[in-house]
Amino acid sequence: MVLRLAWATLTRNRTRTLLAILGVAVSAAMLLDMVMLSSGMRASFKDLLLSRGFQFRLVLKGTLPFDTDATIADASDITRRLESLADVDAVSPVLGGQLHVDLGDRAIVAMALGGVAAAQGDYEVLDGRAPSSENELVASDAFFTATGKRLGDTLSAGAGYDPQLRLFSGRRVFTLVGRAHFLYLSEGQRAVALPLATLQAMQGERSHDRVSFFMLRARSGANGDSVRDRIAPAVPSLFVVSTEIAMRQVDERLSYFRQLAFILGSVSLAVGFLLVTTLVTVSVNERLGEIVVLRALGVARIRIVQQIVLEGSAIMIAGAIAGLGLGLLTARYLNSILASFPGLPASIDFFLFQPSDAWTALGLLVGAGVLAGIYPSWRGASQPIAPTLREEAVG
Amino acid sequence: MLVALLAAALLQQIDSSPPTRPPRTIAIDERLAADRSIRLGDRLVVSGTSRGVGDTVVVSAFMRRQPDPSEVARAQYRVRMHLDQLQSLINYGDRVDRFAVATRDALTDTAIAAINAAAFGFRAHRSRDIVVETSRTFLVVSRFHRAIGVITIVASAIFLLCIMLLKVDERRRDVAALRLMGVSARSIVRSVMIEAALVAFIGSGAGVAIGWTAAQLINWHYRGVYRTPLAFAAVTPSIIALAVSLSVVLGLAAGFLAAQRLVRVPALELLTGRHEERVFAQPSS
Repeated sequence: MVLRLAWATLTRNRTRTLLAILGVAVSAAMLLDMVMLSSGMRASFKDLLLSRGFQFRLVLKGTLPFDTDATIADASDITRRLESLADVDAVSPVLGGQLHVDLGDRAIVAMALGGVAAAQGDYEVLDGRAPSSENELVASDAFFTATGKRLGDTLSAGAGYDPQLRLFSGRRVFTLVGRAHFLYLSEGQRAVALPLATLQAMQGERSHDRVSFFMLRARSGANGDSVRDRIAPAVPSLFVVSTEIAMRQVDERLSYFRQLAFILGSVSLAVGFLLVTTLVTVSVNERLGEIVVLRALGVARIRIVQQIVLEGSAIMIAGAIAGLGLGLLTARYLNSILASFPGLPASIDFFLFQPSDAWTALGLLVGAGVLAGIYPSWRGASQPIAPTLREEAVG
Repeated sequence: MLVALLAAALLQQIDSSPPTRPPRTIAIDERLAADRSIRLGDRLVVSGTSRGVGDTVVVSAFMRRQPDPSEVARAQYRVRMHLDQLQSLINYGDRVDRFAVATRDALTDTAIAAINAAAFGFRAHRSRDIVVETSRTFLVVSRFHRAIGVITIVASAIFLLCIMLLKVDERRRDVAALRLMGVSARSIVRSVMIEAALVAFIGSGAGVAIGWTAAQLINWHYRGVYRTPLAFAAVTPSIIALAVSLSVVLGLAAGFLAAQRLVRVPALELLTGRHEERVFAQPSS
């Protein structure tokens, strides 16, 4: 009976019910988006950091990878020391720089990463192969587009440009041996990867045996904390950035979005709650006569409360289900806006859908729907029967 | 010979005394001063590398960050020191990263063209263009806020329409009585629309007050978090005008739709409540 009465009430004022569901759907969409925003970018960034299995980054104290131009001296010695530690599977030294490519009538600049191809965690080769000799390199799609070169072509490039002498410094001729996706760079960024020794030699004395940072992969099953405890005393001049520390840094830098997500999510939930509360309250006020008649016929107060709470919950559930689809669409749109952040890695998603997000949003909305119905339903069901009947009859 | 040896010993003594060059001055970030309890006149040792040989400097000034959006998320401290000292510390030679050139407004284009033509390998840019480029992050955030704003407007419109429908529905008996007394449907629609516009106007006034308070709180909070004088939220006259006009227009539209729905039902049916029975009976018929 409770179900039938609730259904009858909802279908009596179809326009009102539809509008309420629509309103809740928009609130649910916004709530889902904000739940996705608050957790998605963390999860997405963590996936990115661990995508090649490197759990640690070693940087100069007080910096993050590529935060400054400062470099680490004695790279070979540090690499050997790190490789000799227990539970260390791979060490990847990385040097950053620029590559000035001479195209005859013009020159373009690309980001250059010097590394050891056998133990690198910066890129994935999509076509061709990784560089195996000193004058080979792999490049991003944007680099191929900008230079007009193809796999197997050669190009002349330097590590710097001297405007006084009008010459490229550290000039070499390279062969393009692969097309790569650079994990930590943005989609349209021109980038190349080449052997570490080549980039060091091209940059001259200032980069002799120096790198920007190290990446380190622990053996599978090794305890991360104990590996970290072994690394720190082995290289006291460096700061060991574990995935957890990197996540904390990201949290600090992107705290704005998490706070925005919290505020807008709360507002969405409050708007949905207010909407359903208003509708249920008005609906109860309109049906006071009907409610007291049911009470007079012997229907228990709790049954009436159940019916009205069910109405509120039904609006919330229907709105939440509609809002789920709407939320995924708007999340895609909002993500496309934030994806154009300068320098943001292409693999980062601000709005990452996880089933737990949908359950969280649905649970919050249903909870709000139940709460929205409790007070007006209890108030309606507690009206004195005789005076209310008389008042409703006389008007 | 003896005189020469004495002179050499004397000179040697003078040469071996430590140089008495006074330390140079440095201006440091006020956040660094606050975090490390550094005061004006304190002596610091600055170095180009984490374990390199450094220079002693005297803190002569504190600097506050400029309200620059491109720097807001950067936590690094900044210091200002003498160019030659920095070049020497970081072994940079007689090099600089860029020059800032002051020009008269009318001559800026000419100056840029002259520099680009004369100095091979250099490229001159307007400060304004550099600001636009470095503010791209905030342009993206701004677009994101606009998109969120559109979603909020849609939600508000639906909310307003719901409220107006409820309000008008509540008054169906009054409306029926007015119709039976000869008041035209147009007058009823107008009165409902005026009421809706008033509700929207008063609501948007309250919204402006809430928005202004929220903007103050947001600025206070984020200026503290990022330690910058940058304004994160601003309630400007144009924003108020847009919000109020949008709200009134939405209110008028919601009032019109709600009133139209009511005046289409015959007055007697409204008075007796038979229109509800009709609607209620439809699903089973």
